Amino acid sequence: MIHVLAPGLRATIQDRGRRGHAREGVPPAGPADPMAFAAALELAGCAPDAAAIEVVGLPFAFRCDDRRIVAATGRDVGVRTRSRLPGWTSVLVRAGEEVVVEGSAMTRFAYVAISGGVAVPPVLGSRATYLGASLGPIPRALVIGDALPLGPSSAGADIAGRHVSPPSYGGPVRAVAGPHDDRFPTGTVAAFFSSSFAVSPDSDRMGVRLSGDVVGGPDADLLSCGIIAGAVQIPRGGAPIVLLADHQTTGGYPIIATVVHADLGIVAQRSPGEYLRFARVTPGRTLRSASR
Amino acid sequence: MSVRPYGDRAFLIELEQRIDPAIVDLARAIADAWEARGLGEATPAYASVVVEFDPDRLHWADAERAARALADDPPQGGSITGGRLIEVPTLYDGPDLADTAARSGLTIDALVTLHSGRDYRAFFLGFMPGLAYCGLLDPRIDAPRLVSPRPRVPAGSVAVASGQTIVYPADTPGGWRLIGRTELKVFDPSRDPATLIHAGDRLRFVPR
Repeated sequence: MIHVLAPGLRATIQDRGRRGHAREGVPPAGPADPMAFAAALELAGCAPDAAAIEVVGLPFAFRCDDRRIVAATGRDVGVRTRSRLPGWTSVLVRAGEEVVVEGSAMTRFAYVAISGGVAVPPVLGSRATYLGASLGPIPRALVIGDALPLGPSSAGADIAGRHVSPPSYGGPVRAVAGPHDDRFPTGTVAAFFSSSFAVSPDSDRMGVRLSGDVVGGPDADLLSCGIIAGAVQIPRGGAPIVLLADHQTTGGYPIIATVVHADLGIVAQRSPGEYLRFARVTPGRTLRSASR
Repeated sequence: MSVRPYGDRAFLIELEQRIDPAIVDLARAIADAWEARGLGEATPAYASVVVEFDPDRLHWADAERAARALADDPPQGGSITGGRLIEVPTLYDGPDLADTAARSGLTIDALVTLHSGRDYRAFFLGFMPGLAYCGLLDPRIDAPRLVSPRPRVPAGSVAVASGQTIVYPADTPGGWRLIGRTELKVFDPSRDPATLIHAGDRLRFVPR
């Protein structure tokens, strides 16, 4: 069991997402930054399908009833127990010890994984929380005093101290043109890939809203089609939205480009007011930078 | 049909871009075939299918070949008889009922008779959990979307817009025209399956 001492602004249980229900209109949810989430699980010795905690608005503090391996990841994340430790590191935590996960002004989504994983029963096949429809085993943000059951931990103290390097969160975001690239006026796609966009404050788990150069869209609406995380929609008005974990399953705005899966976290972790550029790549056996 | 890259782990298969029950059925049949082969999740809509794959298990080029093969030689749609008939007891008292009737040149009674007088196909689910896009409306019902969406539409609202009709599964902002309401719960995560209406089902609104 872990006991939540400080829940941050909004902490939710997440696993890698609720697959197989898009045809019922159910968004996948899961982590906004899948790479950081997977790294946290791995560092804590959890299985890839285990559940952990996503936190917006650090600090997040908790204590465990028994000895566990803990890992915190995300952008600019650190861990404080008796000592101060960097994020992206396996930390051995003693029974009853208080753990504080801290961030900086740049931190948006932090992940806290505990060996054994958060062992709440799945809803519709997943432990992910989708606040938009109050869906999940704990369909709300965590509050002080919440006690979360943990699975049996097979991770030994020997993995403590392991560290992986966080990705470069400030870099360009790789994206594949389309699928609706040919619906835009000539030159629009090239202009999109050479533009710089500012991240808007009203970005959330559903999507990152961008401002800056207006992208000219098609005159006519499209028929709604399926949405995946990373899709860059151009609504009327021309301000792009990069869709993330809580995206609607279908949408009618044209999609000028789609962020590659490995870079979803780079988008999600960009802070309001920061800038973002898209680097065009073509998919294939490996991703290649597209020649201009 | 066209097959377009959709990021680095999905393709978008596009059919003829119009709303037509036969095209919707074909899109769903393509999605079923993709999933039946264990290639990944597939999401059909009006006239397209998103087919996803796991790049750790399937190379991009092989996934593209599989998607093109499905597009070039699609399975037979023929699922029109597969759906269940779902009756939706409806109280026609929505705030947009009178206006929608007036702009269609109909009396309220005539609009209710037209709306409840035919069975609708559930084309696909999207926008929010459990929301089924159903059609087609009688073309005499003139129902463009509202210019300003409502900040809150109550769960169970029966609505029309752009030739289609829906039941809102939960409270949500929404821009469709509200003509009535039902007590049916179209989405309930504690129920299995959570969704009442599935793509391919038929809907009949029963005035009460």
